[in-house]
Amino acid sequence: MSVKTPSKLEKILSEGHLAVTSECGPPRGSNAEHIIKKAELIKDHVDAINITDNQTSMTRLCSLASCIRLKLMGLEPVLQMVTRDRNRIALQSDILGAASFDIHNILCLSGDHQSFGDCAQGQNVHDIDSIQLIQAVRHMRDEGKFLGGDDLDGKPQMFVGAAANPFADPFEIRVPRLAKKIAAGVEFIQTQCIYNLDKFEEWMKGVRDRGLHEKVYILAGMTPMKSVGMAKYMQKRVPGMDVPDEIIKRLQGVEKDQQAAEGIKICVEAMQRLKEVEGVAGFHVMAIEWEEKVPEIVEAAGLHPRPKVD
Amino acid sequence: MGCLEGDCHFNNGNLMARRRVEQAQKILDSIDIGGERVKMYNLSSSEGPRFAQYAAEFTEKINALGPNPIKLAKNKAAVDPATRDMAETN
Amino acid sequence: MIVADKKPIEEIIEYLKDHTNILVLGCNECVTVCEAGGKKEVAVLASTLRMHAQKEGKEIKIDEVTLERQCDKEYLDEIRDVIDQYDAVVSLACGVGVQFTAEQYHSTQVYPGVNTCFMGATEERGLWTERCQGCGQCILATTGSICPVSRCAKRLFNGPCGGSTDGRCEINAEVDCAWQLIVDRLKALDKLDEYEKLCPLKDWSTDRAGGPRKVVREDVQQ
Repeated sequence: MSVKTPSKLEKILSEGHLAVTSECGPPRGSNAEHIIKKAELIKDHVDAINITDNQTSMTRLCSLASCIRLKLMGLEPVLQMVTRDRNRIALQSDILGAASFDIHNILCLSGDHQSFGDCAQGQNVHDIDSIQLIQAVRHMRDEGKFLGGDDLDGKPQMFVGAAANPFADPFEIRVPRLAKKIAAGVEFIQTQCIYNLDKFEEWMKGVRDRGLHEKVYILAGMTPMKSVGMAKYMQKRVPGMDVPDEIIKRLQGVEKDQQAAEGIKICVEAMQRLKEVEGVAGFHVMAIEWEEKVPEIVEAAGLHPRPKVD
Repeated sequence: MGCLEGDCHFNNGNLMARRRVEQAQKILDSIDIGGERVKMYNLSSSEGPRFAQYAAEFTEKINALGPNPIKLAKNKAAVDPATRDMAETN
Repeated sequence: MIVADKKPIEEIIEYLKDHTNILVLGCNECVTVCEAGGKKEVAVLASTLRMHAQKEGKEIKIDEVTLERQCDKEYLDEIRDVIDQYDAVVSLACGVGVQFTAEQYHSTQVYPGVNTCFMGATEERGLWTERCQGCGQCILATTGSICPVSRCAKRLFNGPCGGSTDGRCEINAEVDCAWQLIVDRLKALDKLDEYEKLCPLKDWSTDRAGGPRKVVREDVQQ
């Protein structure tokens, strides 16, 4: 597929390389040092860095400002944008703001419900949903128009992404849902983190059967387990997460101080397996508050050094 | 007082009565009069002695609780300030 | 119907603390069905307020009236002759009734006796659940007669989100995922292929966002 934007991520994918992205959560305050430090840890091992948007509805430094920080460091950000907190005016406005700083990647999401976060009594917006946001960005980029119909001065050159969760219910519409996002104009996908490799491959088969893997770049989500406690928490308490018992058993089978290393091993093995799956175009390594392990994981999976593009 | 549960001549009149007693208890608690002043007992109509026992038990309990707050308020209002000094010296 | 729930008694007592001539005004429609503000509830509330007043040593007069409904002038007119006897009304009608009563009786204090919650249905006695938020542009024809605006916590038009688990919403395992329900219904109607149709952006101008709304029917106006 040829490129439509100046996005470095798009370029790497279009050249047939397996792309690697990761993510950083902004700080719970205005201290930008946290973002800068985290980005420094991973910058040579990834092609682009996602900045989360008030994830789990915990109020944080905004994604847009954090992405600008990354640009100032010469790095490639992916602006995550949820529809929970902003109406269509603000969403379009922030897209233009990001574009004005040459931010070329956006991930369109609904967002976790605000009851999970620190402002459970707040209003939510959901003026448009994540699929309509994909349509909106494509409309602004390709037609050069606002949703209201007026021409805009300076089209946002954005490579448009979205999330996919092969593990949420109902399973039978998870491939149709990807088809829907593609019809809306999505160009790359980052999946929810994968532990149940069989189920993921089943989803990928459904994706390939409809030729969808040729219409969108799919990056497989990976999160290393730090401990048995984390694995159990993810299995029981995180909606839409599928953690097979084998993972927990495997972590229980090693000494407590070895669990983190075992978790990384499980992650790298999964990546090695998924590299062979047709339609997997790369990996999205999410090691929240454990960013220092990203280089080790990327190297062990044979994905370092990262390809150079102009 | 209601029939033994499962034994009501009118099917479940005693169960509905229990629900109403519970509601009344909640209301009396909500305005600090005391839900413990209302209670449901279950027995059959032939259990004369038990009726007497429950009646005595509850009477004792109510006496121990003392006058309810409404009665106390009425008594207080009934004591005319003009005659109070006389009552105390007598 | 409009579903309401009783207000805590302490709140109502606080509203009425400076009033001595009170009318408790019930409504025979929605709030009767959801057992929050009908004739029975009026009687219980009035009795509770009297007992409380007696306990406090307060002289207070509390009358009870239940109107057919409080959202029509013809029924509110029924108390026109007596309204001036009272220095406060506690209306157990929904928010509409409370306001409309106050509009008819401009110089009488009208307090709400219930919290108005939503438009919903009786699933069983004692359980009422939300079904409609009055968006003004009903799309039930495209979603198997299940509303994503009122039943999806994120009011997604192209749902479900990634948090749907075992047919339940991520916010609470007791809440159905509206989009699971929609998918199940489309399947039952043999219309699952419609799932992939992209739903266009919602026009919220007929919803609350557009400001206070009205419906005008010239064909029935006099």
